[in-house]
Amino acid sequence: MKSGLYSKVMLGFGFAFLYIPILSMIIFSFNDSRSVTVWNWVGSPTLKWYGELLRDQQILDAAWLSIRVAAMAATGAVALGTIAGLVLARFGPFKGRALLQGLTTAPLVMPEVITGLSMLLLFVSLEQLLQYLFGVQFDRGVATITIAHITFTMAYVTVVVQSRLEGFDDSLEEAALDLGARPAKVFFRITVPLILPAILSGWLLAFTLSWDDVVVTQFVSGPGSNTLPMVIFSRVRLGVKPVVNALATVMVLIVACGVILSAFLMRRQEQRRKREEQMAASG
Amino acid sequence: MKPAGAMANSRVAEGRLGPLWTLLFRYGPPRWTEYVLKNWSGQRLVIAVPYLWLLIFFLIPFLIVLKISFAEFSPLGRPPYEPVFQWLEQGALQIKLLIGSYVYLFNEPLYVSSWLYSIQVAAFSTLLCLLLGYPMAYAIARSPPTIRNVFLMLVILPFWTSFLLRVYAWIGLLKNDGVINNVLMALGIINEPLTMMNTSFAVYIGIVYSYLPFMILPLYSNLEKHDLTLLEAASDLGASPVRAFTRITLPLSFPGIVAGSLLVFIPAVGEYVIPSLLGRTDQLMIAKLLSDEFFLNRDWPKASAVAIVMLLLLVVPIMLFQHFQNKELQAAKR
Amino acid sequence: MQTAERRADNKNLKPEPWRDPNAEGYVRIENITKKFGDFTAVNNVSLKIYKGEIFCLLGGSGCGKSTLLRMMAGFESPTSGSIFLDGQDMAGVPPYERPVNMMFQSYALFPHMTVEKNVAFGLEQEKGLAKSEIASRVADMLEVVKLTQFAVRKPHQLSGGQRQRVALARSLVKRPKLLLLDEPLGALDKKLREATQFELISIQEQLGVTFIVVTHDQEEAMTLATRIGVMNRGEIVQIGTPTEIYEFPQNKFVADFIGSVNMFEGSMIEDLPDRVRIKSDELGATIYVDHGISAAPGAVVYAAIRPEKINILRAPPADVSENCVKGVVQEIAYMGDVSIYLVKIDSGKIVRVTLPNVERLSDDERILWDETVWLSWHASSPVVVTQ
Repeated sequence: MKSGLYSKVMLGFGFAFLYIPILSMIIFSFNDSRSVTVWNWVGSPTLKWYGELLRDQQILDAAWLSIRVAAMAATGAVALGTIAGLVLARFGPFKGRALLQGLTTAPLVMPEVITGLSMLLLFVSLEQLLQYLFGVQFDRGVATITIAHITFTMAYVTVVVQSRLEGFDDSLEEAALDLGARPAKVFFRITVPLILPAILSGWLLAFTLSWDDVVVTQFVSGPGSNTLPMVIFSRVRLGVKPVVNALATVMVLIVACGVILSAFLMRRQEQRRKREEQMAASG
Repeated sequence: MKPAGAMANSRVAEGRLGPLWTLLFRYGPPRWTEYVLKNWSGQRLVIAVPYLWLLIFFLIPFLIVLKISFAEFSPLGRPPYEPVFQWLEQGALQIKLLIGSYVYLFNEPLYVSSWLYSIQVAAFSTLLCLLLGYPMAYAIARSPPTIRNVFLMLVILPFWTSFLLRVYAWIGLLKNDGVINNVLMALGIINEPLTMMNTSFAVYIGIVYSYLPFMILPLYSNLEKHDLTLLEAASDLGASPVRAFTRITLPLSFPGIVAGSLLVFIPAVGEYVIPSLLGRTDQLMIAKLLSDEFFLNRDWPKASAVAIVMLLLLVVPIMLFQHFQNKELQAAKR
Repeated sequence: MQTAERRADNKNLKPEPWRDPNAEGYVRIENITKKFGDFTAVNNVSLKIYKGEIFCLLGGSGCGKSTLLRMMAGFESPTSGSIFLDGQDMAGVPPYERPVNMMFQSYALFPHMTVEKNVAFGLEQEKGLAKSEIASRVADMLEVVKLTQFAVRKPHQLSGGQRQRVALARSLVKRPKLLLLDEPLGALDKKLREATQFELISIQEQLGVTFIVVTHDQEEAMTLATRIGVMNRGEIVQIGTPTEIYEFPQNKFVADFIGSVNMFEGSMIEDLPDRVRIKSDELGATIYVDHGISAAPGAVVYAAIRPEKINILRAPPADVSENCVKGVVQEIAYMGDVSIYLVKIDSGKIVRVTLPNVERLSDDERILWDETVWLSWHASSPVVVTQ
């Protein structure tokens, strides 16, 4: 049954609600004025904020750090999260399964201040321990940020991988075992190719969450390791800044291109697949 | 690799790593090495990897927070608390547990009002999110399959752009000299700018805006699975569309409603960024208090106590969420 | 219908090895039990299967046949009991080390690999096989299943019947000692099923592999099998050639499960080594059987008579004292090759009779609705079972 008028109207309103702020940010990044809310008809549109963005060393350094951390965190999250998803979906009941399920999904809803605080206290305790045992002093920095990010993003990867695996039965994996492949081989040659889209989207998801994180990072970072969100956050608390609008526009563009490209590729693949299936059915 | 039973009598240890183990630990106590090898099969090692990580980096930190919440604040210490466990000279272990932090939290009016305010804001925001998200999810689920994917993409796209930047975008819109006020004044609808920044209203908008995809997706995935012939049967039996919706669709979508609502409510209680950028300065949400206690006052025990109380408050909703999450996962099984 | 006589000239199968009490089973299943919690799926099953056989496990859903098959493949381990293959105990041997291969009901073809790669997969797992040898064995097997020109296609580009042949090729190319087939023809339509049944038999004869087939379809079992093991509720209730199972069921369940049957309850009034008389109130007549049966004196017995073995007569036969009963034709179902007559006898019971197609006969030559008729059968037709 088709949906009624009410829900269609809400759909339109909802999309407007979602996109107007983004559009306004983009529009005002071209505004030739310090005020980000009054359009200066003289001199606009201008690219001067983009120029300032490229000269802003603090932002560029922070961005580079964020990319590195996010890439490492996403990779680690995918490695651990895929294994956790596999274990929960394919291994039968085992002792401690309920706890593992709980531990992997709790970070999905845990408020970030709690996660951040607890991980910081852990790192402090570890620092104390290492100092006591080995006399080594280490400071928080990229490593601690990455570890923290892996921990809370891996939950998302686990959920994505687990639900993908639950969606098809294990007869393919059993067939591979039956044909003589050891479990490890089955995983890499059969399971992984089949869930590769889920793994990739898990990687992207973890990357985005890590790239974007403010609260946890603030807790666990050390001196000299400022990520991009931390820089932005401290700046915008003092008010609106056009440079930030320029940055936002760049990011939206990149994401939009990525999403559209992937959607396009997926559709092409779907169409090709449909054509092949029709060929098989008739021929 | 020979089956495990075949090698029982030989001197070489069993299992895949048997020969290597024997080489390295030829003089090790045979019984526990054999036990480890026999029980630490490949499967268990695989389970152990994520398990250990989560135990060390997720579970144990909570225990540490719990421990420190009972510690005594020492302003000049590095770290700023007295040790809870201390070994004395005679080998005795001294355990000092103070509940002062907790007592403070429940008595201090600043905290009490903050708890209540946080829950109120989170609850109301969740409701608003549901009221907007449900019709959207419904419309998407009932639209033709080709457009459906486009809609889903449009819902998810903002999510991939920075959460921080999107909240920031609202500053520009809600300010006294912001876009909304300028438009309304230009149209002559109002004479003076509406105060929208630094209000609860701004926080509601911020939370609904940021968490809307989290509400829509579980709802959509539930609604999409509905068997539409049920509605046809209801119509055939004389039910009006509204009736059919309230008696059939709504109850069936209940797990989705719960999952989406919890996915919004629980993190919203502990939200930090949105109230910091958009919220009131006279009434703080609990996450800001925690952060201030920790970073400004350096009172780690009190900050830990706040975290523990927040966790206790949320543990029931968290378990509810996991229960419904599991149900949806089971439903996805073919 | 398949009979043991045809099987006798299968060069792989010594004539009826199961008749030889000293023959060692190629597959020996000894007292296998499998419990899932409180539920017993397989209950103390023992079975010997001989080399070169096509053995069918036949039963309805939930009878334990699939569980038994999975235990032979190594995906489940028995709660108690042992499985021996060619003399080797399979306890603790994982599926990837058994000389057994399985053809899955859903075919389980790897969607991201071509037909060639699918078939080659099993060979690639074996140590010491050169690439060239793998390629040639794959090519040979594709010829056997007649899929050579589809070698580079992927599974979603194939039809259902083609996918089934890929699955078959993939499991056979490893030359396993035993091939397990789980409902191999279930997903095919009727015409394709019949053609594939005979193809399967010819491939099996060509390669000499021992087959164990699990199915719920009696026709499939009757066509494919050298012997059938009928299962019910986790137990084997009868093992025999298709002829034996059909003509000589040993209990009510098997008689009823295979084909259709008319069952009459009665008690023995004459019990001699070479003949038996049963009085049946259900029938309203006496049944005379021309062979002896073993039953306790006074025990309740059941006489099973197949529908095709009953004659319908329009006038009473010469001797109406036994093996004969009067009735009224209630219903006639025209099936094309046969017609099924449902005849209501005096006791109220409906007897099912099948007669070959009589369409071309004129009206007064054939039997019509509501006619009073006499049913009679030869003394050798009833099979008497005691449980």
